[in-house]
Amino acid sequence: MSAPPGLPPPEEVLKRAEEVLKELERGPWPSHVAELRKTRYPLHIYGVGLVARKSPWGPGAVTVKYVNTGVLSRWARDWVPKGGEETHFRVFHTPGKFWKTDFVRQIVKISRELGVGLIELVGQTGAFVLNLTKDKAEEMVDALRSIGTDVGGSGDAIRALNACVGPALCEFALFDTLKWYVEFHKDKRINDAIATPNFPYKFKVKISGCPMDCARANRADLGFIGVWEGAPEVDQELLRRRIEAGEVDPEKLAADCPSGAITWDREKKELKIDGTRCKKSMHCIRTAFPAIKPGKERRVAVVVGGGVKGRFGPKLGWFIGYLKPDEVQKAIDLTFKVIEPWDKEAPPKYRLGDYIMQTGLEGFIQKAGVKLEVMPQLVKMGDDVPYAVLSKEEREVYLNLVKELKGGV
Amino acid sequence: MTADPKAARLQKVFPVDLNKFLPEVILRNYGRWVDRKFHGYGIIEHISETGERVFTVKIAMPPNARLSADTLEQFADIADKLGIGAMRVTMAGNLEILTDSLEKALKIKEEVERMGFPVGGWGPTLWGINSCTAYLTCTTAVVDSPSITKALGDVLKPYFTGEVTLPAKLRVFVSGCPAMCAGGSAMDIVIVGQWGAPPKIREEALSYCLPPKRVLEKVPESQVFIVQVCPTGALALRREGDKVKLVLIPEKCINCARCKENCDAFDYDPENVGVAILVGGKMSNTGRGPRLGRVLVTWLPAIPPRYEEIATVVKRVIDVWREHAQPGERLAEFIDRVGWQRFVEMVGLGKIYSLYQKMPDYVRTYMYFRQRSDAWPRLRDAV
Repeated sequence: MSAPPGLPPPEEVLKRAEEVLKELERGPWPSHVAELRKTRYPLHIYGVGLVARKSPWGPGAVTVKYVNTGVLSRWARDWVPKGGEETHFRVFHTPGKFWKTDFVRQIVKISRELGVGLIELVGQTGAFVLNLTKDKAEEMVDALRSIGTDVGGSGDAIRALNACVGPALCEFALFDTLKWYVEFHKDKRINDAIATPNFPYKFKVKISGCPMDCARANRADLGFIGVWEGAPEVDQELLRRRIEAGEVDPEKLAADCPSGAITWDREKKELKIDGTRCKKSMHCIRTAFPAIKPGKERRVAVVVGGGVKGRFGPKLGWFIGYLKPDEVQKAIDLTFKVIEPWDKEAPPKYRLGDYIMQTGLEGFIQKAGVKLEVMPQLVKMGDDVPYAVLSKEEREVYLNLVKELKGGV
Repeated sequence: MTADPKAARLQKVFPVDLNKFLPEVILRNYGRWVDRKFHGYGIIEHISETGERVFTVKIAMPPNARLSADTLEQFADIADKLGIGAMRVTMAGNLEILTDSLEKALKIKEEVERMGFPVGGWGPTLWGINSCTAYLTCTTAVVDSPSITKALGDVLKPYFTGEVTLPAKLRVFVSGCPAMCAGGSAMDIVIVGQWGAPPKIREEALSYCLPPKRVLEKVPESQVFIVQVCPTGALALRREGDKVKLVLIPEKCINCARCKENCDAFDYDPENVGVAILVGGKMSNTGRGPRLGRVLVTWLPAIPPRYEEIATVVKRVIDVWREHAQPGERLAEFIDRVGWQRFVEMVGLGKIYSLYQKMPDYVRTYMYFRQRSDAWPRLRDAV
């Protein structure tokens, strides 16, 4: 980007940059500027950007041998006084993003010795980010690999996977999200797709243990969300005790159910939940757990095509059917089934969801050859324009309908 | 040919050994948690069927979750001294320190607050503000989300710590450009930087994004990457004699910033730049389920370092919601109940919004061009 019009002379810019930065260190919320000051990050560049109201960074080129994703570098634009550069690695997080302190200290050591002493704890892909100087890039990759993690997940590849904390620290987890997370990483195909960018655009896989969707799977290209079939289980005895203790108000519980599936029988002191109406909002479960628990018939809902940064704007995913909680290998195979037609046919920079919009969900599912439990039969509403170009086959279907309709009145 | 030992790097080392990376108490109680209790805001107790308990203290991080190695080490020291030697990072960019008793949890709270890091979140509070990196490293950001986040955090801190409670959970995402890297638009309040006007093409940098001239002369326009990237056909090749030029048709541009994401030759004027504020999105299936947010304000200037305009609108939305929502009602459900029109008036944006009503729909949507995106280049190629 070129210099913004009316940018003051270099010394004035740097002076104003310092003023803006100082202001950002004030106030009760933790300050990123205060943290950056404790590092070797080139803070003046950030300040100049704020004065210019333009990003001060231009694309740089740092290559690390055989590390094709996860390395990003920037040069300061030519209008930034004193200039400078910035390189960072995207590094894989641990399952559930647990950090034992010995691991933290290893990261801190690497960041101090080979980096600039700056860590972004988590980025939106779910990886964490280490800033470094480019001459230490090769060394840092090896150092990270030696402590059991690695660099990767940028560009048109499978990005760092994300799973919610699941059974490790949550009683609501409906399947073992971290086991799925681990199994996915063990697959050679997943490794290769993370290591080398080869797709039309990025591809994200996210795994959430329950419909509250903490891993934001509904927004991923391929998301897995734990659900159950039918009604939640009610332990009437325990529930009665909790009601008597004043912990749960059954009338309110019934009134607040977004699905309207709950009825409270005052005479019998019994709570009934209609499984056919239950939309899995988790409301009763969260309020009365463990007296009300998710049903035992567990499933993993598969959603495809979500994403933020697509050709046709932000999208939530389409539900395409269920897997069983132990079918992680099927889930991995499914990943490559949905990738295949997209990778082969989609124009550049189409997310999976954009491609699905182009082919239609029905057409996509056929091309991908996906077969799942309870696939929705009807995924498309009627069109809102009364004209269409019909193929010969389509026209024949309607001609057949004509035969059926004859003599109907 | 000897193989380069560095080629081993193509096999990634994934940190997925649960036994190595998960704390022992977590491994012992894996899948055995039965209950949870809240102890004020920002401290949660997980209870296992084995009787073991884990207390977690949620700590707000600086914008974009940027920590210096020194501060992270201090947190590690606290986790060793008062905790069980483990912490957790959340997708919201908060840090959680794990411990085994309420007393220790309260001590952790005291210590980190002394360091200047508020403890809060969970329940009916602000759970955190997500920010993309923007001017800290990004080449395509149009506004600086970390400083917006800082300005908002300063104003919204009482909602995080629970000094002032909210009707339900609240989360704020701040993204520097329409790519929305802070987490998209499916959240309660979303602030997204946008160009405000169609970009200008910097001719001198354009050659990096186009095929070499002799190729460019031969290939059909629809095969040129940067033309393919534009969802509305606003980028086109003009051929005059032996000259080929990339032009931008401003009437077709919807400011989606996809060209900028893929090519450095697009530039904007800071005067046109602003933020859009979206409200009423969510990811969770609670209430009426997940949905994308909707635009409340199309454009507000983003003026560092305090961004008062943005902070005022966000504060006002929260105040309206606090005053009128029923307990447990998230912003999305509250807006559904009172109706969009009523909500817009409550926030005091009726006038602005009536202007927005006059904008023809088609200029603002991706969908209008959906069927045509491929038809346009084909048509032009044919001509």
